[in-house]
Amino acid sequence: MSVDVIMPQMGESIAEGTIVKWLKNVGDKVERDEPLFEISTDKVDAEIPSPAAGTLLEVLVTPGTTVEINTIVGRIGAAGETPRAGKPADTPAPSAAPKPAPAPAPAPQPAPVPSTATATAPHAGERTVVRSSPVVQKIAAEHGVDISLIDGTGEGGRVTKKDILSYIDSASRPSVASAPAPAPAVAPTLSAPAAATAAPRAAGNAPRPQVFPAGQDEVREPMSIMRKKIAEHMVMSKHTSPHVYTIFEVDMNEVVKRREAMKREYAGEGVKLTFLPFFIEAAVRGIKEYPIINSSVDGDTIIYKKTVNVGIAVALENGLIVPVIKHADQMNLLGLARTAADLGERARTKRLVPDDVQGGTFTITNVGVFGGTFGLPIINQPQAAIMGLGTITKRPVVIDDAIAIRPIVYLSLSYDHRIIDGADAARFLTVVKRELEKPAA
Amino acid sequence: MAEPTTTAKRGRLTHVPSDKIKLEMLHYMKLVREIEDRIERKLYRQGRIVGGVYVGLGQEAISVGTAIHMEKDDVVAPSHRDMGVFLMRGITPRRIIAQYMGRRTGLTRGRDGNMHMGDMNYNVIAFVSHLGDNVPVAAGCALVFKQKGEKRVALCYNGEGATSRGDWHEGINFASVHKLPVVYFVNNNAYAYSTPTTLQMAVEDVAMRAPGYGIPGEVVDGNDILAVYDAARRAVDRARAGEGPSIVEFKTFRMTGHSAHDDAGYVPPEMFEEWKKKDPIPRFERTLMAEGVLTEKRRDEMQMECVKIVDDAVDWAEQQPYPAPEEVTRDVYYEG
Amino acid sequence: MAMTTYVDAIKEGMWEEMEKDDRVFILGEDVGIYGGAFKVTKGMLDRFGPMRVIDTPISESAIVGAAIGAALVGMRPVAEMQFIDFISCAFDQIVNFAAKCRYRWGAGVPIVVRGPCGGGVHGGPFHSQNPEAYFFNVPGLKIVCPSTAYDAKGLIKAAIRDPDPVLYFEHKYLYRRIKEELPAEDFVVPIGKAALRREGGDLSIITYGAMVYKALEAADELAKDGVDVEVLDLRTLLPMDEEAVIATAKKTSKVIVLHEATKTGGPGGEVVARIAEKAFEYLDGPIVRIAPPDTPVPYSPPLEEAFLPQTGDIVAAARKLAAY
Repeated sequence: MSVDVIMPQMGESIAEGTIVKWLKNVGDKVERDEPLFEISTDKVDAEIPSPAAGTLLEVLVTPGTTVEINTIVGRIGAAGETPRAGKPADTPAPSAAPKPAPAPAPAPQPAPVPSTATATAPHAGERTVVRSSPVVQKIAAEHGVDISLIDGTGEGGRVTKKDILSYIDSASRPSVASAPAPAPAVAPTLSAPAAATAAPRAAGNAPRPQVFPAGQDEVREPMSIMRKKIAEHMVMSKHTSPHVYTIFEVDMNEVVKRREAMKREYAGEGVKLTFLPFFIEAAVRGIKEYPIINSSVDGDTIIYKKTVNVGIAVALENGLIVPVIKHADQMNLLGLARTAADLGERARTKRLVPDDVQGGTFTITNVGVFGGTFGLPIINQPQAAIMGLGTITKRPVVIDDAIAIRPIVYLSLSYDHRIIDGADAARFLTVVKRELEKPAA
Repeated sequence: MAEPTTTAKRGRLTHVPSDKIKLEMLHYMKLVREIEDRIERKLYRQGRIVGGVYVGLGQEAISVGTAIHMEKDDVVAPSHRDMGVFLMRGITPRRIIAQYMGRRTGLTRGRDGNMHMGDMNYNVIAFVSHLGDNVPVAAGCALVFKQKGEKRVALCYNGEGATSRGDWHEGINFASVHKLPVVYFVNNNAYAYSTPTTLQMAVEDVAMRAPGYGIPGEVVDGNDILAVYDAARRAVDRARAGEGPSIVEFKTFRMTGHSAHDDAGYVPPEMFEEWKKKDPIPRFERTLMAEGVLTEKRRDEMQMECVKIVDDAVDWAEQQPYPAPEEVTRDVYYEG
Repeated sequence: MAMTTYVDAIKEGMWEEMEKDDRVFILGEDVGIYGGAFKVTKGMLDRFGPMRVIDTPISESAIVGAAIGAALVGMRPVAEMQFIDFISCAFDQIVNFAAKCRYRWGAGVPIVVRGPCGGGVHGGPFHSQNPEAYFFNVPGLKIVCPSTAYDAKGLIKAAIRDPDPVLYFEHKYLYRRIKEELPAEDFVVPIGKAALRREGGDLSIITYGAMVYKALEAADELAKDGVDVEVLDLRTLLPMDEEAVIATAKKTSKVIVLHEATKTGGPGGEVVARIAEKAFEYLDGPIVRIAPPDTPVPYSPPLEEAFLPQTGDIVAAARKLAAY
């Protein structure tokens, strides 16, 4: 008896997925739930665990090939069962000739895997190794930082511990970023903020200059599945919603104090308290008072959502992902912090399950990670609004006719003018500001 | 030629044991032989004892005839062919067999094998394979006895091979300089592994070196227990009286290979023949029977007693647990 | 209050222990009438007599062997090696007898073997060595290397009271060059505990013995460049204070291991290995060893200076590592 291995549906709108790599060879023994293959969809890149224990009998879909969900991609036989010989695709190694997708797939062969690089783009899909060190890698993993985005000051441009710490420090000032959770989230997955800060590589934001082979004026690099999907989604969102933007300045002094006071206690709970949960909490409060922010459009109908599910943009190596904090309106600060941390961690380690990225009603993105004062993100359809967090920076402000130095953040709200007017947005942001500036108890 | 009996080279023995002591010594000699025979010829060959096995077959008179003089508080550093010392210090055959079998209740709890065992509760210092190392160590014990003005002595045993090592020299010189209450016994059994005495030293006797240290040296027939007893007693008395160390060399013969896996093919067969006639146990038995101290019946009974003791020891030892693997890292340092 | 030199601190430590505990005695070459080649035991014969301050023949093996025997019958001997270089003569007694007794047959051997180590005094190949590494691979031994007068006294007392064999490496360069006020009351420095001599955030120098001072000098120099150096003095090599080693490695992420023993097979390799095993993910640069080249200790001043790690060498290596 063999067990079919299928292409899973990794997200509600997902119709297909691309096999990136088989982690087992035909004939290999595999444990139940042991990683079997890697896929890439427009929402997630993920390792798929084996549905059963036994022997990998067949590989029906070679790496680089995109297939519809629920397509049988391989078969697991009882332990000790022998693979039949002569099967078409029994070499799990990245195929040199990826089969075209059976469906009218928008994503062709090149999966975002190093080995699929083509001759025209010598180092296309590959990431040059950024020189760092064990501690830098560790910190990067903990904070979800893409090391390639950091300017190294070490020997030969190596990214040092100091580099990454100051990078995180500056990034965490805005908030969303340094969270142990969705750390330096660059931009929301499907609603990239400023193009400049969006996708690290494709947006030309890579730390190293593109290498041009001698005699070539340009290098062509196919988009990854995720990149393609992001592109499609961004265009679709801009096409669907007339975007309007409102910016508020918020004094973070009280939040800084609250965070300092609570950090140790949270650490005791195993949670590293960042600024992000404070923003989520404040946004939820705003939504409670102005539910239009938490709505969507269906033809001529406005759908108000009772539950507040806040998407948090997390930057990945090759793009973005927006895991969703479900029922954020029912969580306290600790719950938000813990959930955000968990989702961020799983996003970066490709352990998100489809449900994690579904059902969002509102999104928060941190555009200040790389020092942006503020950003104007694109709405994550079918939501109605997205809030962007700038970098938290000390600025002189006038308080009671005296000049004081305060940590200031600029919050932006991008919203769908079909249903939200400037006044609604301002009222919402006023609540958010009020919550954040509320004196610490 | 008549078979030899025990005599004293000096013509007249200064110290002659009582009949009771004579029988006690005979018992220990027979017990040593029975234990070592069981270990080397049976248990080792059955695979019930592993590693290396070294015995003192033919040398039983030396350990027994010397250790008999020890007082309770005296300290002894025996070599690997001095089984009698352990038995006479009160260490039971059960624990000795358990030691050889690597059991938890052996003297070293499985950390070391064969004669590498000791226990300061019995004032027995464990031997190390690095020959002669125990010479300065015994001197150190004697140094303390002298410091404290105690009438204790230290006894130290080695073969003639060990006397070529620097530690032997350093230790005896140190003990001699400080006139320490220690006696150095040398079992000169003609071979150090395969090396004959002539390749070990250019003098006839180890004892000839004693004048070089300014101490007495004596050569004794090591297969004559009464001679051993007498010479050892004089040396021990001298040490106990604060007159300093002595070297007592016992001429004997190793009636086996160096160890259980050595066939001793390098030893001319006639030497075994020659020395077999001087086997210290039958020799002593003949003497005792001639003196009317021992009958054939009693001799055989003594033999059966030894067999029973060793049967019991083997049975007991085999019931003993092996040390647990997790004990491997214990007791490297003091653990409180 | 009077300042106590490193050498007197050692003597005071032994002296106090001998006053307190009549199991403690000293033996070695020229320790009695002469008071020791470096006068570490000066005056002790007069106070304690020839039964407790014992002049021996030139027999390191017998000195240590006798100490072992004495310890086995209840004493707490302190054996002096006139120069620690000569400890190699007693190697067998130390590694096969003293170190293994407890494990083999449960007999503790509470001896101290101490002597002057180290270079910088033009002693040449046989009066300048740092042979701690020979013993570093011997389970059952403890090895201490005091760098201050306080530690010299506290560690000799701890070593004498310790139930296991302790090798006490005293640096002859420090004998009369350093001094400090010592507490009047009884104190010990626990064996197995390192000491942070200077706190810093950029880079750690893990060292011991006389090199502690080189490290501190280098740290002062580096501070001028804005490089904030932490200096960890191991004090005990066996058992090593792994916790302190790992803590400083994690803290600064950049580590220099410095010692006067020659490089290959030196104790520093073990420090490096432990950091690599237990703090790998905290490292922000290669772990650097600074140690003399793999040669005997040369006599002629320019050669010896080239042999010994100098402050400038440390500063240069630290700058490079800081910039890595």
